[in-house]
Amino acid sequence: MAIHEKTLIDPDRILQHDHLVVDGVDVSGSWNTMISPRTLVDYEPDFEKIIQSYGGGENVHRCWQCGSCTNSCTMYAQNVDFNPRYWIYLIRLGLKAELMKDKDIIWQCVSCNKCTNICPKDVRPEGVMKATAHWLEENGYTPKTLSTHFDEEFTHQCLEFGRIEDTEVMMGFFKRSGQPLVQTWIINFGKNLSKHMPLGQLAKMGLNVVFRPKTKSWGRTGEVLAEYVKTQKEAAHHG
Amino acid sequence: MSAQDTVLVVGAGPAGLSAAATVAAMGKKAVIVEKEDVLGGAPIISGYAKLVPSGEWAKDAIGRMVSRVEGDGNVSIHKSTKVSQLDGEAGNFTATLSNGSKVEAGSIVLATGFTHFDSINKPEWGFGTYEDVLTTSQMEQMVATGKIQCPSDGRVPERVAILLCVGSRDRQIGREWCSKICCTVSANLAMEIKEISPSTDVFIYYMDIRTFGLYEDKFYWKSQEEFKTKFVKARIAEVTKSPDGRLLVKGEDTLVKRPIVIPMDIVVHAIGMDPNALNPEIAKTFGIGLEKHGFIDKAEQYTNSQGTTRKGIYTCGASTGPEDIDTSIAQGQSAGSRAVADLFSAQKVAV
Repeated sequence: MAIHEKTLIDPDRILQHDHLVVDGVDVSGSWNTMISPRTLVDYEPDFEKIIQSYGGGENVHRCWQCGSCTNSCTMYAQNVDFNPRYWIYLIRLGLKAELMKDKDIIWQCVSCNKCTNICPKDVRPEGVMKATAHWLEENGYTPKTLSTHFDEEFTHQCLEFGRIEDTEVMMGFFKRSGQPLVQTWIINFGKNLSKHMPLGQLAKMGLNVVFRPKTKSWGRTGEVLAEYVKTQKEAAHHG
Repeated sequence: MSAQDTVLVVGAGPAGLSAAATVAAMGKKAVIVEKEDVLGGAPIISGYAKLVPSGEWAKDAIGRMVSRVEGDGNVSIHKSTKVSQLDGEAGNFTATLSNGSKVEAGSIVLATGFTHFDSINKPEWGFGTYEDVLTTSQMEQMVATGKIQCPSDGRVPERVAILLCVGSRDRQIGREWCSKICCTVSANLAMEIKEISPSTDVFIYYMDIRTFGLYEDKFYWKSQEEFKTKFVKARIAEVTKSPDGRLLVKGEDTLVKRPIVIPMDIVVHAIGMDPNALNPEIAKTFGIGLEKHGFIDKAEQYTNSQGTTRKGIYTCGASTGPEDIDTSIAQGQSAGSRAVADLFSAQKVAV
């Protein structure tokens, strides 16, 4: 029998074989449709601790579900599936399978920190989003981000050589993230650089080292700023 | 002992003990009539563990209140006794007790308290069916023994679920009130369980959390943040048993919008406060009115605080609705003072 209200059922709960013969009877297609129950049958209470072990997730256990984070969320305004309040609840109870349904949008947090600023329990939801995204990435549930590839190459060079070399970092980054080593923008960058070699500017910079000119109309600005900083410091220490 | 010196105090829980001590401290006589054979009321009779919010053991804290009146020459006590008849009027009451004696009193304080909700009236939550389903009072008794274990087989519970609003906020069973203190008591109980049994996780199933006033951070936040109590927003529909012997709590998780069937080892009912089961009898004996839920009806609050519908009869504590112990004690003092003030005005009239 066909399911008429499929929208009410999560697609992953509809089980159906295209071709199935049982006891010689052909029950292919919708004849063998089964729907797995939507009941949640257990918690994983230790999952909260795992998220807490990632930077930013430390305070997730404080949440009492007021929803201030989701309310203030920049991303929620774009996509109502982006719901930090809900994910924090799932993390707290260890409802991992539910959380995983949103694994491909959690990384979209733009770290505007409006949630963290408004949270009455100091949960720091922005940190929880970061921690969760890292957990997802580290466990291979989501692909590594470009910035992770960059960080890895950068760290690798630091540890290996005690220093980094810019060209090497870029090459390593391209290699790790599966990008071609020769890219159009690099070629254009090189071309434009040689075409507009800023000889005049270079000469000016050299002269500046010798003569140390001041910014135009600088006047007494420096003096005033120094005085301001001094009074601020005094106020901070004796206020 | 004349009527004009004496206040009759009915009930010896926190409110009644406080009222009697107040009367005695003002140099008047208090006669306590208590239907049980021990003084102290619900905290002693039901064996509460540590009290909210002081954290003192009930037997120590309420014990001090009991010895205060027991050692007072102005207080006389009738245990295992009820008032069977009341004659006279304000300024000149005569109470006939079930033990045959008569008490003349100028005014009366009814500190007749409440009755714990009987969980049998919510059979779907498994109380009386499964050994590991308990009430908060029973769980407090377990805490007082210093050992947390499943009554069925003595194993240490991996998980304890506390269901809030059992016998409160439930039109289906005619309980349209919030019992006020169960949220705080449950948050406290969760901490006590965790303290004794660190491997046990406690889940509190709630509709709302009403830890009023300063109980917010001291109990709710502390329980959640320091003792890792998990608060789950779900009204449980049913408690059943799984083939492996564990309990199953069934309901709908309000926030995930999905049905849940979660295994638990102990389920605790946070039972509410009913009107004293004897209130119809009390109302008839003392000629006072009851409000629509069956608690004792209060007089106008602003100039007749602790008054009932009858002149010369005052009330305090959980007799007029769910109340916490600290407030009951304060109301006991308030009712005691008003009762004593009546004695003075009766004297003035007599002169």
